[in-house]
Amino acid sequence: MNTNQKMNSEKYEAYLKATHRLGRAVSLLTLVMLLGAPFLIGGLLGTMPDIGAAARGFLSVGLVWTVSSIVEYLVYTPMLGAGGSYLAFITGNLINMKIPCAMNARELVDAKAGTPENEVISTLSIATSSLVTIVVLAAGVALMIPLRPVLESPTLQPAFANVVPALFGAMAYKYFRKDVRLAAVPLLCMTLLFMFVPSLTSSTSFMIIPSGALAIGLSWLKYRKARKEAQQ
Amino acid sequence: MSVLDQLNGSGLYLICGGIVLIIAVICVIFLVRAWRAGKALGMDTVKMKRAITSSATFSLLPSVGILLGVLALSGSLGIPWPWLRLSVIGALHYETQVASAAAEQVGITLSPEAMTTQAFSTIALLMSVCIMWGMILTTIFNRKYVKKLQGKDPEKKTGGGFGDLAMIAMFIGMVSAYLGSYLGGFVSGNGRFTFSGDWTPLLVAAVAALAMAGFTWLAEKKHWEWLDNFSIAGSMLLGMLSAVLVGH
Repeated sequence: MNTNQKMNSEKYEAYLKATHRLGRAVSLLTLVMLLGAPFLIGGLLGTMPDIGAAARGFLSVGLVWTVSSIVEYLVYTPMLGAGGSYLAFITGNLINMKIPCAMNARELVDAKAGTPENEVISTLSIATSSLVTIVVLAAGVALMIPLRPVLESPTLQPAFANVVPALFGAMAYKYFRKDVRLAAVPLLCMTLLFMFVPSLTSSTSFMIIPSGALAIGLSWLKYRKARKEAQQ
Repeated sequence: MSVLDQLNGSGLYLICGGIVLIIAVICVIFLVRAWRAGKALGMDTVKMKRAITSSATFSLLPSVGILLGVLALSGSLGIPWPWLRLSVIGALHYETQVASAAAEQVGITLSPEAMTTQAFSTIALLMSVCIMWGMILTTIFNRKYVKKLQGKDPEKKTGGGFGDLAMIAMFIGMVSAYLGSYLGGFVSGNGRFTFSGDWTPLLVAAVAALAMAGFTWLAEKKHWEWLDNFSIAGSMLLGMLSAVLVGH
């Protein structure tokens, strides 16, 4: 490692350390604000939340989301990096926006996983994406009355109902062409699974786990084979 | 004053708008820090600008979709709370489901006629509690987890290890799950192997993929590299347009 690389490495480590400090502080702040808001609003409306009913509700739906959150955290953090993951878990909409957005940005600038460049690009991407959503929602809320007929127009409903298929269609071309043979296996397995067990379509976000694991497993076998061949 | 009028009151706008504003400031801070770090590390500013531009165009259409979620929930929860929920942590598919389940627990249905102020504050609390775990996990474990992911292997830090391939594979798996669900939905959506399910998501995905192929061809063969920044948004727009044309 030359002097320049060593300096960069030190700068990067300092940046990461500060990012974790900031990330933890803003996550805690957001947590306090989000949990405090229902009580603040309750105070304003003159009726506090019913804690018993909220606890029963948590047992009926919350546990599923807790498991889902743990899986999301383990799976998405490697894609997002440090800064990106703090921001993404604060601002939400991970599967339908933040993850594809960060992947697209790193792809465009050819940033490799685990590198400082990937960390910076991922954070820039998630921060920009979050700001765009905040601005669009704020503008939409401000213009809710004139916009309502357009957004609720029966003609445009099919378009808005299909944002996610449009996103994944475009991303499929971009990623499947990198390794068509690798993509064919999880696609075929998932298609067959959804054909034989149609009720699973309501749990597609959970099915990402086995599908992703299968693709990673196949990719690992291919990587190991290529490495062995290179060594021989 | 009706319950919905109270839920659309200026006090709620102030509370929710204030929180959204703080989150926006946090995003700006992260953006500026990452930009400065990139420059300090000697990264190409053209690349960083490109990442910002493409992310902004990429996020426009999904954000309009999220706005529809605000609209959908505003009928029963007013505008300020869904606005906050979908700007902070929320996810489109999550909010309606949890709001309905929470309403059930307080003994009402999610409708403006049935809504009471106490039901609202309870629903709001449950919506916050159910989705906060990702943020709690990042607060507690992110430092160690990210460090573990980076490892001490110098090959990983230059992007030469398996990490990059694993990330692409995970994404291929994710896209496969969604495309598989559209195919499965069409084939068995109305009964196993009846081929009478909803085919619009399939059509939309196919049109978007074809459009993406066209944009990629123009960028790679005709050297219209600038198109890369808008290719996803453009492909999505054409895919969504196909749904309007078939009217499903």
